[in-house]
Amino acid sequence: MNLTYDEWAAAVREGELLGLSCDACDHTNGVPTGACPHCGNRDLTRVSLPTDGVVHSETTIQVPPEGFEERGYQVAVIELGDAKVMGRIDGDSERVAIGDEVVLSGVITEDDDHPAPLFASA
Amino acid sequence: MTRAAVVGAGMTKFGVHDTPLQELFGEAAFGALDDAGVTTDDLDALYFGNAMSGQAENETHLGPRVASHIGAAGLEVQRFEDACATSANAFKNAVRAVDAGVHDVVLVGGVERCTPETGKDTPAMTRIFASASHRQYEQPTGLTFPSVFALLTKRHMHEHGTTEEDLAAVAVKNHANGRLNPRAHFGKETSVEEVLDGPVVADPFRLMDCCPFSDGASAVVVVSDDLADSFDAPVDVTGVGHATDVVPIADKADLPATQAARDAATEAYAQAGIEADDADFAEVHDCFTGAEILASEAIGFAPEGEGGTYAAEGRTALDGDRPINPSGGLKAKGHPIGATGTAQIVELTEQIRGTVGERQVSDANVGVAHNLGGDSATTVVSVLEGRA
Ligand SMILES: [Zn+2]
Repeated sequence: MNLTYDEWAAAVREGELLGLSCDACDHTNGVPTGACPHCGNRDLTRVSLPTDGVVHSETTIQVPPEGFEERGYQVAVIELGDAKVMGRIDGDSERVAIGDEVVLSGVITEDDDHPAPLFASA
Repeated sequence: MTRAAVVGAGMTKFGVHDTPLQELFGEAAFGALDDAGVTTDDLDALYFGNAMSGQAENETHLGPRVASHIGAAGLEVQRFEDACATSANAFKNAVRAVDAGVHDVVLVGGVERCTPETGKDTPAMTRIFASASHRQYEQPTGLTFPSVFALLTKRHMHEHGTTEEDLAAVAVKNHANGRLNPRAHFGKETSVEEVLDGPVVADPFRLMDCCPFSDGASAVVVVSDDLADSFDAPVDVTGVGHATDVVPIADKADLPATQAARDAATEAYAQAGIEADDADFAEVHDCFTGAEILASEAIGFAPEGEGGTYAAEGRTALDGDRPINPSGGLKAKGHPIGATGTAQIVELTEQIRGTVGERQVSDANVGVAHNLGGDSATTVVSVLEGRA
């Protein structure tokens, strides 16, 4: 594999988002994968995703799962260059809407130390 | 072309059940067997669905247990897990098996308990449901299932101008239908105002945009085309399509497209030799109001971007020109995860037989079931038709 979960997670903790670009079909996967999910190509190139992007969709969760005690947090799918990634909107940032510009601002590790990227309004 | 036939259908009331899984399943299974007029001796196999009782109730290896309970120990039992599409997947495999001549008579069904009767409160069950989202790339954000469909629906609202009133119209319609269904979890009507007044779960979804946690079971008897004529009221299965889409959500090509549903519908309609317009009604996977709007477009019941206006204008109501979820859907009938897929087949069978009373769709001869799993990455679409 050209990018493992452990490598991706370590990068997220360092403030970098790694993805995989596919030359065969132009898809850029926002997270590690064994092959391009759209065309099956295994010869994927590791890329560093841009740290600024645009909100593709978002919602604010008022009924959280066990382990996430504080309600009212916003999650979003962010367009970062050719890729899209799922992240959390920083609670200290203002709420964002579809089309808004955001920047990578950090990491949350609320879920059993699994990292997720954090974004803030640009 | 007929691939198989449903000759018996049974289900429990969906709602809150203080009953062990095998007893719940037994009620549905005995109902289906009695409806078909067969005994467990006639069965070649049980295709059984249960999604998450391992997590919810510490109960696994349920196949032989439910088979023993219904007096069918010794039978070949296959257990399926495909999140919310669990028992539709069981149904697909049963149809395929009788179509291929592997079996002649198969019992298919599913059971699940999701209410606090399991001992799990809302945060605990919300986490269990979230296990169907990506462990590494989605769950760490705190994603929940209402929020998964909120992300898909908000994108649809952005692209097509779908409104919160359109979403509420789906809830109002399905509650109205569910009131006519004695097996529905909810038996009361609601209004657009009441839906829009509810507490937010994950915007744009308020409480009444979301299906409930339910307990229940459903089952059908599937037989080969050759055998079907020896039964009283066979309903033909003419197509079953099954497709998957990319996980996680962010890597899907198009969020509100629910592409697996489109691919599954295309396959099911091709097998059946029909177009969407030939179908008289559909049961779709309305785990959230927005999900029904996406589904109605994916299966071709509404034009692209018009699923919301179709609901708001009453075109998907019981007396509309494209009736959707006459049973009340997941929204009002309830959603005991592993029982939902075959419960849709139960509704299709009974609608086509013309035996559902007040919620009968007029001239219901061709029905479509759309059962979606996970973040829309699995969908099974089935077409059932009255036997000529
Ligand atoms: Zn590719």
